[in-house]
Amino acid sequence: MGGIEIENLHFTYPSRSTPTLCGIDADVDPASFILLTGPTGCGKSTLLRTLNGLIPHASGGKLSGSVRINGASVASQPIAVTCQQVGLLFQNPEDQLFCIIVEDEIAFGLENQGFPSHEIDRRIDTALAQVGLTGFRNRRIDSFSSGQKQRVALACVCAMQPQILLLDEPTSYLDPQATHDILDIICNLNRKLGITVIIAAHQVNEVAPLCGRVWLMNNGELVSDLPIDEAFSDLERYSQLGVQVPELAQAAAQLGYAERPLTLDHAEQLFIDSAQNSQPPQFYGTEAPEVPFTPNPSSGEIDAASILTPATPTNSDPILADVQKLSFRYPQTDVDVLKNISFQIKRGEVVAIMGANGSGKTTLLLHLIGLLRPSVGQVCIKEKDTRRSKWRHLVGQVGIVFQNPDLLLQAATVSEEVAFGPKNLRLSRQQVEDRLEEILPIFDLETLQMEAPYALSRGQRQRTAVAASFSLYPDLLLLDEPTTGQDYYHLQQLMGMLQDRVQTQDKTVIFCTHDVHLTLEYASRILLLHRGELIFDGPPDVAFANPELLAQASLVPPLMMQLQRLQDDKSPSSHENRSPRNR
Amino acid sequence: MINLHPHTKIVLLAIVSCLVILLDSPIALCVCFLVSLGLQASIPPSWRQLRLLILFIGLGTWGLVYSQAIFYNQVPRTVIFTLVHADTPVVGVLTGGIHLYREGLFHGAVQSLRFNTTLTISCFIIWTTQPRDLLLAFVKLRVPYSLAFMVTTGLRYIPLIGSEAKTVIRSQRLRGFRYLRLNVLQVISGILNSLRPILTNNIRRATHLSEAVESRAFSPDTAAERRTSLRELKTRGRDVILTAVLVLCLLGVICLKGVYFLYANGIYYASWLRGAYSFVREVL
Repeated sequence: MGGIEIENLHFTYPSRSTPTLCGIDADVDPASFILLTGPTGCGKSTLLRTLNGLIPHASGGKLSGSVRINGASVASQPIAVTCQQVGLLFQNPEDQLFCIIVEDEIAFGLENQGFPSHEIDRRIDTALAQVGLTGFRNRRIDSFSSGQKQRVALACVCAMQPQILLLDEPTSYLDPQATHDILDIICNLNRKLGITVIIAAHQVNEVAPLCGRVWLMNNGELVSDLPIDEAFSDLERYSQLGVQVPELAQAAAQLGYAERPLTLDHAEQLFIDSAQNSQPPQFYGTEAPEVPFTPNPSSGEIDAASILTPATPTNSDPILADVQKLSFRYPQTDVDVLKNISFQIKRGEVVAIMGANGSGKTTLLLHLIGLLRPSVGQVCIKEKDTRRSKWRHLVGQVGIVFQNPDLLLQAATVSEEVAFGPKNLRLSRQQVEDRLEEILPIFDLETLQMEAPYALSRGQRQRTAVAASFSLYPDLLLLDEPTTGQDYYHLQQLMGMLQDRVQTQDKTVIFCTHDVHLTLEYASRILLLHRGELIFDGPPDVAFANPELLAQASLVPPLMMQLQRLQDDKSPSSHENRSPRNR
Repeated sequence: MINLHPHTKIVLLAIVSCLVILLDSPIALCVCFLVSLGLQASIPPSWRQLRLLILFIGLGTWGLVYSQAIFYNQVPRTVIFTLVHADTPVVGVLTGGIHLYREGLFHGAVQSLRFNTTLTISCFIIWTTQPRDLLLAFVKLRVPYSLAFMVTTGLRYIPLIGSEAKTVIRSQRLRGFRYLRLNVLQVISGILNSLRPILTNNIRRATHLSEAVESRAFSPDTAAERRTSLRELKTRGRDVILTAVLVLCLLGVICLKGVYFLYANGIYYASWLRGAYSFVREVL
């Protein structure tokens, strides 16, 4: 049980002229584990919604073709019946949890299905055990980290004991440790209980080793459906679509191997053991990594120019932000979210703020725009204390893009949105036009300039929000989780453009992220937070060479770096006892 | 009082709402308001909740008293202050002058006591009851499940919406927008622009939430007939006693007011009820 048959599936949303799904045909065997990937807006989420009956039952639009679960047509049975067989976990835990207490949240679906209270009780305990939250039954959900919240959401689905589990980018809001934990749970559900899993994801490094097949979508079509062994043979196709491929498979292709390793064990066997009689490949140099290896996804070759040489500010560079002994506690709480943090940000820096969910990254960013003011200590932006000065001095000097870009988008069209800031600064019409001409192409928004921002896809909305903040040419641009909802191509484009501005116009960018690759590729400095404390402030490569530090911040070094460490461990000259965290 | 059955709390609100409509005497209304404040004091509210309550009460009182003082149209009425003289061009001529009336002030104060009493008890209920208990109480009161679910879920998101509004306003200000301008149209346009992201975001959230809810077998059509519940709220002795006292109070006031109405309109008079007539006139 748990098989799916999809036949010639087409779907068009009510307000769209072009179909979002075009002739999808696929069969899924019970207990399969499928990775569904593709660029932003290719139809992944829509496909998942057709599989659990949200489309067409809870959506308008035109559906043709069929989806059958265990032989029964999804379109002809109510969602309440389908969801007993098919569970759907969404991207953002905040959007799917609406109760205060964990047990109420999990009980909701079971109560809707009419189970007696003793059965609900039993299933809640089972589901909590499955997701590793035994003992959390009567806890308040709002006291949980994002990773724990996503586990609660998964428990809600598990409690309904589905045969098929659909996951729509379930880890995009999570830190690497929480991602690892959630994927472990999902893997166990698949392996031990035989639950069929289809997981949509942009960041495939963690998911690929778990899955048996890979579905690649583009423009509503299923352009490839291959077993995992063959899925990444043709990397050119992924590159053309701007879709990320597993890091180790990419490296193998660049080094000329035919095999595509997905795990460290496999890569070690392939790269290191097979080269024992010859010169072993060097990924990061002979010592601890200093400069990260950044393969160029578009060319498929190792590109020397893509190896980052970050702008390194000198001591004489002016200080943009000066944070001294900052501690902060939200009202009505008794825990300091930030504890005695001190650092300075200079012009020309690209700074990554990293740490586990709930470590205080966003709270720190909100202090840098003066939205929050320190409980203790001080934050000075351009030499003005945010507690004493008015917000007005930050106008045009500091820009921020929130993790949720919707909170920034207020205009009727994309071009009005981008022009909003310059117009408020009373620039001439010609100057505003010039800025639009410059900025819209940079963010790939030319063709969308007359569209309503809130009607765009998540990735497009985020680009619009960045363009709108950037149109003021702020000295300090803050980005909160820029990777969320972005595909690899647009993320690279966005960060590349910002890095270019940093280098050529002496701007400063600070971004919060869980993405270690993004940090290694673009940041010149990293601030590591752990439970509100600043545990590291320095170059990323130094931080990533320290496994204990990374573990403390719930981070995992890139696989290539772990592989390098393995190689160093095996070399006779190495006396350090380094072991990869996850093989 | 915090641990009262939510059902009892809702009955308390309903009965007090009826009482403040039935009562006219400032003394009786003051007593009701003091009782509601006593309920609040029994929590006790946090500083943030207290500030919010004071803000609501202050705004409500000011709005009602001021508007009633200006627009009071019963007679007799005594002018205590003139805002616009009758001979002022255009506005004065058109309106016959704008004045503050003493009787209007008094009437507004009485109305504000009614409003503030209900508001204070509503806040007491929301701040002392878990949404899940409120939901069960609504269902027990035979409110349709989907409606009760919408109300309690909506309450849960109010603080989040407040925090988002703050973020939107700050991000607009960082982009150079000024809310306070001489041009009123620009101010209104700015406020409307701020509402757009808040509304859009909430519509999007509501869409996601409805998908999540429907994916967990929720159906408004079948919720009433097949839905079960993990927990049952238990009614205790004090809930029964309080409900009985409240119902008796309400019935007593209705009876007394009814008797007085019959007397005042010359329909029925009994000498042995003179004490009641006097009590209604002086106290209720």
